[in-house]
Amino acid sequence: MSEDLNQKISQFLDNELDHVQALNLLKKMQSQPGLQDKKIRYEAISHALKTDTFLVTMADFSAKTHQRIQQEPVYLLPQHKSLKRTPKLIALAASIAIVAVIAGRSMNDPDQHFKAASAVQVAQQQLPGQPSTPVVYANQAAQYPLNKRINDYLQAHNSSVYTNGEANFQPYARVTAYSQK
Amino acid sequence: MTVDKLFFVVLLLSIGNVLAKESELDAQQVLVKMNHAMEVLNYQGTVAFLKNDKLEPMKYVHVAAKGIQQERLLSLNSPLREIIRDADKVSCLFKETQQSLVDHRPFERSFLVDLPKNLDEAGDIYQFEMVGEENVAMLPSYVIAIQPKDNARYPRKIWVDKQQFLPLKVVLYDNSGVPLEQVVFIDIEVKEALPFADVKLLDGIQPAQHIHQLQPQSSDQAAFIVSDLPKGFREVFFARKPMHNAEQPVDHLLLSDGFASVSIYMENKNGAMQPGLQSVGAVNSYSRTINDYQLTVMGEVPAETVKSIAEGIKLRDLKD
Repeated sequence: MSEDLNQKISQFLDNELDHVQALNLLKKMQSQPGLQDKKIRYEAISHALKTDTFLVTMADFSAKTHQRIQQEPVYLLPQHKSLKRTPKLIALAASIAIVAVIAGRSMNDPDQHFKAASAVQVAQQQLPGQPSTPVVYANQAAQYPLNKRINDYLQAHNSSVYTNGEANFQPYARVTAYSQK
Repeated sequence: MTVDKLFFVVLLLSIGNVLAKESELDAQQVLVKMNHAMEVLNYQGTVAFLKNDKLEPMKYVHVAAKGIQQERLLSLNSPLREIIRDADKVSCLFKETQQSLVDHRPFERSFLVDLPKNLDEAGDIYQFEMVGEENVAMLPSYVIAIQPKDNARYPRKIWVDKQQFLPLKVVLYDNSGVPLEQVVFIDIEVKEALPFADVKLLDGIQPAQHIHQLQPQSSDQAAFIVSDLPKGFREVFFARKPMHNAEQPVDHLLLSDGFASVSIYMENKNGAMQPGLQSVGAVNSYSRTINDYQLTVMGEVPAETVKSIAEGIKLRDLKD
């Protein structure tokens, strides 16, 4: 009987049993653990003969793996929400990037900084309440005689030249010239 | 009711009536009191001048004794300078460059605000109105609006201390209500007495410079005639004097309506002056040539006013 079962295990591993004989053998192996161990040994010998490699597999490998999976704890902590890319966030990121680029260029480009300061100064020189008369600016060198003369006139006109921040003996008066209508 | 009680009631009513009248000063009365207080009180403080887009904080001292006044300004920021007004003379001492300038100005009285002596005359061209009460430098003050009755000049507001009647704030507006210039006290205190300062000219590398020394002359000597002036403007001062250099005399006629002033300059034509309208802070100027002369009209009045005055000026016929 034992020799018969050993023969059938060997045939089972060589895929030489029919469906009914293989099913009967599996049922006997399920009820007799010794037969399962024998099947593993035969399988290992066969594998070693065919591939020159010997692997030992524990008989309860599958059962223990299943048991470990069942014992794995279930995590109930709230998971971190993924960052949603809303339009507001995208716009904010884009704005910050633009500001960073412009600021970087302004700091590295003195000419650009000078132009920005000049623009502020021009805006301050425009007289409110007289928007219809366009302002004409000449270059500073060309304005020197003009400013000197206007400054002499201002100094003779009233003493306010001494109380404004530009009074420096013969100061340059900041002059805004209007084109004639 | 006995006679004594009746007398007491009448006395109380009289006192109350007098106090009520004191608290019901109109705008012109407040300005008259301000004019007087500015001349007779000793006061000092920190005042900020905001002109031509520049803020200039300065220490201010006014001293008065026996009818003599002295006004002194000390700049807090560069260029460091001390400016002293004694009667008709303004001395400007520049500490950093050790230079001194003496400017002769017989037609001005204060760095803060110049009001006409006769406010009744100014009432023809300006309307004085009490428009409220506000605190300036933590002092309660009357707010007086000085509104011109035409568009030839700018409106003003003056904040007058309710207790001492000193000007705490003065603002000049353009005709659309935008502030052009401001003078405002940050702090101010009135003293029983303050010392006069001795003017010690800083004779450094360059000697003290004296300008505008000439005595006023008759405007009949002017090379021009002013034919069309806005109402209220009157001649204050005329002189023919060297201005840019010693060889080139300039005719200078100063006009005023009591609050606003306008200067007319005429000199030989040269290529330096740009014709047309120009502006320096609240001061507008208009230049044009008449034959061989260069004419410039400037003042803290609207641009249309200086242009109108300039266009109404003609050369004087030497036969006149």
